[in-house]
Amino acid sequence: MIMICPGCSCLCDDVYIKEGKVFNACRRGKEIFAKYNENRAVARVDGREVDVDTAIEKAVEILKEAKNPAIYGLDTTVVEAQKIAIDVAEKLNGYIDDNSSFCLGELVEAVLKGEMPTTTLDEVRDNAYVLVYWGTNPYHSLSRHLSKYTYYPRGKKRPRGYDEDRFLVVVDVRRSETAVLAKKNARFIRVDDDAELVDSFVKVVEGKAAKYAKDAGVIINEMKRADFNVIFGGLGLKYGLKDLNQFKEMVKKLNEVAPVYFIPAGFHGNMRGFNETLFERVGHVNKYSFRDGKSDEEFAFTELLKNEKIDAALIVGTDPVYSLPFEVSSKLGKINTIVVDPRMSFTARIADVVIPSAISGVEAGGTMVRSDGVRVKLEPLEEKEVNDVYILNKIKEGL
Amino acid sequence: MALNPMDIYKLLPKTNCKKCGEATCMSFAFKLLNREKKLEDCKPLYEDKKYERQRKKLEEMLKPLEEATETGLIVDESLCTGCGNCVVVCPVHVEKDPKGAAVGNGPTIDDPILRVEDGVVKVINMQACRRYGKNRVLCVVCRENCPSDAIRFLEG
Repeated sequence: MIMICPGCSCLCDDVYIKEGKVFNACRRGKEIFAKYNENRAVARVDGREVDVDTAIEKAVEILKEAKNPAIYGLDTTVVEAQKIAIDVAEKLNGYIDDNSSFCLGELVEAVLKGEMPTTTLDEVRDNAYVLVYWGTNPYHSLSRHLSKYTYYPRGKKRPRGYDEDRFLVVVDVRRSETAVLAKKNARFIRVDDDAELVDSFVKVVEGKAAKYAKDAGVIINEMKRADFNVIFGGLGLKYGLKDLNQFKEMVKKLNEVAPVYFIPAGFHGNMRGFNETLFERVGHVNKYSFRDGKSDEEFAFTELLKNEKIDAALIVGTDPVYSLPFEVSSKLGKINTIVVDPRMSFTARIADVVIPSAISGVEAGGTMVRSDGVRVKLEPLEEKEVNDVYILNKIKEGL
Repeated sequence: MALNPMDIYKLLPKTNCKKCGEATCMSFAFKLLNREKKLEDCKPLYEDKKYERQRKKLEEMLKPLEEATETGLIVDESLCTGCGNCVVVCPVHVEKDPKGAAVGNGPTIDDPILRVEDGVVKVINMQACRRYGKNRVLCVVCRENCPSDAIRFLEG
């Protein structure tokens, strides 16, 4: 049976399991399928084991009593569950946020608002010539990105493969594993300041001198040779630039001389799904307050926690105790925490209420959105009744 | 570390005694690397006590030869992340599997040379490799595009 791997936003669609072996998935993807039964969460209220319904009832009680509740996570669950979570946040008049507020949310927002031309990975495979990986090392974060969608596969208009029909550019502060692959027909640019390189591209298009004029000149000349070029922007780009508008301007400027598209490099399995779902509802991609009716930096879950603005948190499918700095995550101990997670995560161990869920893509079906915005339907290996949709629906009904 | 015949030669007796059937120790070193000869064929190395240290060094040095496949390919699974670059770049796969590995998917043929299984690359059908058999070519594309150095060849 062909499965969709929910491990990252590549959502690889050629993974299959045969005779107990996982085929074609990368190391991370394999772990999801092979170890899905390990370290499973059990329903808990205040450390005591209870049944699922009691845990849900207690969760509803906490959320009802809360003055400033927040919902956080949701990047690994399906769009259907994300929609219900947004309903719950609206009903509670509370905050909702996901990991994208410190991940690539800003870049996804720019794409959704149409500020940069975008395309799909399938189009990239068939047509793209110059591929720029800017501030991202897919070797670690998206193992199969290069081999499945971008650099290595042969496409309809690019039948000769990577050594003749593609031009790889890697922009990074260090010689990453991906940068090592930039050999023939390729370029690696080590940057100290991303803004300088952005500036160089703009200046070279205008015919002026700049710090990286030589590299930028070569790349722009290569871009002019093709009718399809693409930039993949990662966290290095987001945190390297103080002002993303500069980058948007650069993409616009490059489009004056050659067609250049932009795709956010990649993130959690369904982060873009959350961004799109919230964007459709309220016009913002993350850190949204239903009470204030707007999105703001101060409504990011990390800021809310740090500034002690919330008194209850519903955390779905993420592990802030593991992933956030201690000074932020330690504040979770002061508030009522409800965790909906298939695994007994670190956060689940300190939570007031734990509701065990199903792993999306393995035990629960639904829709996920790939990093390029393509919607992918997930079929479960074995259907589990108590999944994120069921739990969030129950909470919604209870409020 | 890549093996080269010169390093092997340096540890041989260098007497050109011809007991192994080769004209020179240098040619014996080449044959050792190609696995046409075995270290045991060098009689003085085992009979003469003064060569004992050299012999032990050689045995250590030639260990990867036993792990390597017939074409000299060595896969270190502990380094592999399963990115599948090697599977997609392999020219033999492109020719035999135009709808699978050639366009970036997992191989759809039954006997690919390499396949990602359980998150790491496995050698399935070495005979199909261009480095195999009489008309072999020294193709190294899979190694060239391995970002984690999990693939290497005996010659380096």
